[in-house]
Amino acid sequence: MAQYPAALDGVFAALSDPTRRAVVQRLGHGPASVRELAEPFAITLPSFMKHIHTLEASGLIRTRKSGRVRTCVLDQDQLSLVDDWLAGQRDLWQARTDRLERLVTNPKEASQ
Amino acid sequence: MNPDLDLTLRRVIRAPREIVWNAWTKPSTLEQWWTPAPTRSRVDTLDVRPGGGFVTRMSEDGRTFVPHTDAIFIVVEEQSRLVFTNAIDSAWRPATPAPVLMTAEIMFDDHADGTDYHVIVRHGDPAARTRHEKLGFFDGWGSVTEALAGLAEAEASR
Repeated sequence: MAQYPAALDGVFAALSDPTRRAVVQRLGHGPASVRELAEPFAITLPSFMKHIHTLEASGLIRTRKSGRVRTCVLDQDQLSLVDDWLAGQRDLWQARTDRLERLVTNPKEASQ
Repeated sequence: MNPDLDLTLRRVIRAPREIVWNAWTKPSTLEQWWTPAPTRSRVDTLDVRPGGGFVTRMSEDGRTFVPHTDAIFIVVEEQSRLVFTNAIDSAWRPATPAPVLMTAEIMFDDHADGTDYHVIVRHGDPAARTRHEKLGFFDGWGSVTEALAGLAEAEASR
């Protein structure tokens, strides 16, 4: 569970940009090549690739290269993390309270 | 309470109220539990009074610390209640924190077995941010809900 908030932060950060959100939305209709995805945007391919890398690092999309074509696919499981954001906050506070409890009931153990 | 946006947590902690309060309000102890291991937490400001700053940083590797909490206390009742929010940062500037705006209320009460510890966290409405974004004020994750709705619709129409 400790990994959960970090994963969520990555997803939120990735979705904090309108270009990346548009890419995620487009991939909701099915896989697409980087070239297809980049087409609607008036930015250079290297700039667009940065967005693709950010999305890939967050786990929201996966990419696969075949010859000269890089294809992107949406990871629905990772996107569902967003849906569960309140559950994520709950986990964070519960884990936090676990640690506080451990500290005040057994200071020696917690300080190790 | 709004069940879609708020969370509550209640637990009896087997330690006196004073100890639990101190674990919350002393930097050296707060640092020990505020973030999960192996992450390390460092308290920059813990000015436990109304309007006082609550600033922490966290580190993955123990060397580089990045901003984590930047909030202010709005209510402080000694050994009884702490309320803080990240809607205003420690410099009293209205803030747009990631991932979400929240107000946390921490209540400490006596219990036969120790402390009755009660947390209520009230979160901002992600949809409200979508409206802001449409007005051009805020380019954040508020439109996540919108993106999700778009995806769900795309799935449903297949």
